[in-house]
Amino acid sequence: MNVFDILVRFHRAFAGGLKVTLYLAGITWLAGLTGGTWMGILAHRLRGVGIVLRSIAFLLAATPFLVMLYWATYPLQALLGVVIEPFYTAVTLLSILNIVGVAEICRTALDDFPREYVLAARVSGLSAMQTVMRIELPLLLRQVFPSLLNLQVSMLQLTLFASLISVQELFRVSQSIDSQIHKPVEIYTALAIFFIGVCAPINGLALWMKHRFTRDISER
Amino acid sequence: MLAGQKLRKTFGSLVALNDVDVSVARDKITVVIGPSGSGKTTLLRALALLDPPDRGCVSIDGTAFQFPRRNSGTLAPPWPKVTVVFQQLFLWPHLTLRENILLPLRLNGGDFARFEEVIRLFGMIDFLDRYPNEASLGQRQRAALARALVLEPHYVLLDEITSALDIEQTGIIMNYLFSLRDRGIGLMVVTHFIGFAKRILARREGDQLVFLEGGSVLESGDIGVLENPKHPRLRAFLAASQLVS
Repeated sequence: MNVFDILVRFHRAFAGGLKVTLYLAGITWLAGLTGGTWMGILAHRLRGVGIVLRSIAFLLAATPFLVMLYWATYPLQALLGVVIEPFYTAVTLLSILNIVGVAEICRTALDDFPREYVLAARVSGLSAMQTVMRIELPLLLRQVFPSLLNLQVSMLQLTLFASLISVQELFRVSQSIDSQIHKPVEIYTALAIFFIGVCAPINGLALWMKHRFTRDISER
Repeated sequence: MLAGQKLRKTFGSLVALNDVDVSVARDKITVVIGPSGSGKTTLLRALALLDPPDRGCVSIDGTAFQFPRRNSGTLAPPWPKVTVVFQQLFLWPHLTLRENILLPLRLNGGDFARFEEVIRLFGMIDFLDRYPNEASLGQRQRAALARALVLEPHYVLLDEITSALDIEQTGIIMNYLFSLRDRGIGLMVVTHFIGFAKRILARREGDQLVFLEGGSVLESGDIGVLENPKHPRLRAFLAASQLVS
């Protein structure tokens, strides 16, 4: 039984796992990109929020995701006396990570943005809105897009850990199929092909954008 | 007339401007000289209302802006009637020189014939489609000036724009300034190059010099101020600059 045969025979199981993985990633991406952007703007404008955000980012960066996931699944729920479905636990934790990551990227870009470009726009008669749309956003997007895309690829890869708390995502499904037919090489090759198929284009896009938009703009 | 009266600006305990009176008339050049940290750039930004003064009055063609503001409403910006060319130019790096000049014109509904005229005046046709980092410093200087001028400002405030230029480029810029003045534009030129200030003031009567030190105007007047300085601090400043040149 080769990779193709396995994919055909277990296509329903794989499709189910893929659906859960894409749900996990999709919700994480949506929450991170919207919530993180707003949080980043707030952190840039309000010093207190900025300090809190940096502290949280520092703590999260120092804690392995697996530890966080287990801690949120077992000790935290035991302490609170609640039982939350593993999917919701995983998606909440991934979303928090993504929100903080996106917010830090946005905050840093906003903090480092040269204010003089804005002043030059204002003295050239551009309104506040025109300055944002024509000067700030294009420059900021060029700066943050590659980092944001790389982060989203990492978030997709982190969804694999959800299998460890019994979320029936793609990796978990692959493990189940392997326990039935004992073809680890073929099954995990199929899994690798799937992740390469999804992640490589996003990585490629990030790389292309980096080359296309973040050219060296330093003046001689 | 663009004028500042009794302008005061502090940054914490530092008094950057201390009751400064200064004026810029249409078709005249006001040269502001002084050592580093004397408050030249602060004065320029206060007059352009980019960084308004804590106290005093800025009046632009009869419209007075009194500080501190009596009501907390937003200030009606005087730009681009009053515009600034910054020392570091701050051309937008994601746009070509052409786009840098045209963007304000498009968004403000300006006259495109003016664009052609300014491009010809500054001899920019050969490098208009370069990005700022692909252009030489002199080319960027001209683009920054062109960006300021296409909107037909009444007053242009120039902050040390020749600080990184060689003598030839400085001469070219100076000729541009004279042509702007002749078109009825009021210019404020902030510089710490005495030679540059002298050459500007020697050209025509009516232009004036302001010597700033520690946030205060120590001496002002026409070119005679540079030839017969009365204030000992200005004498020392001129002597030091002669020594260097």
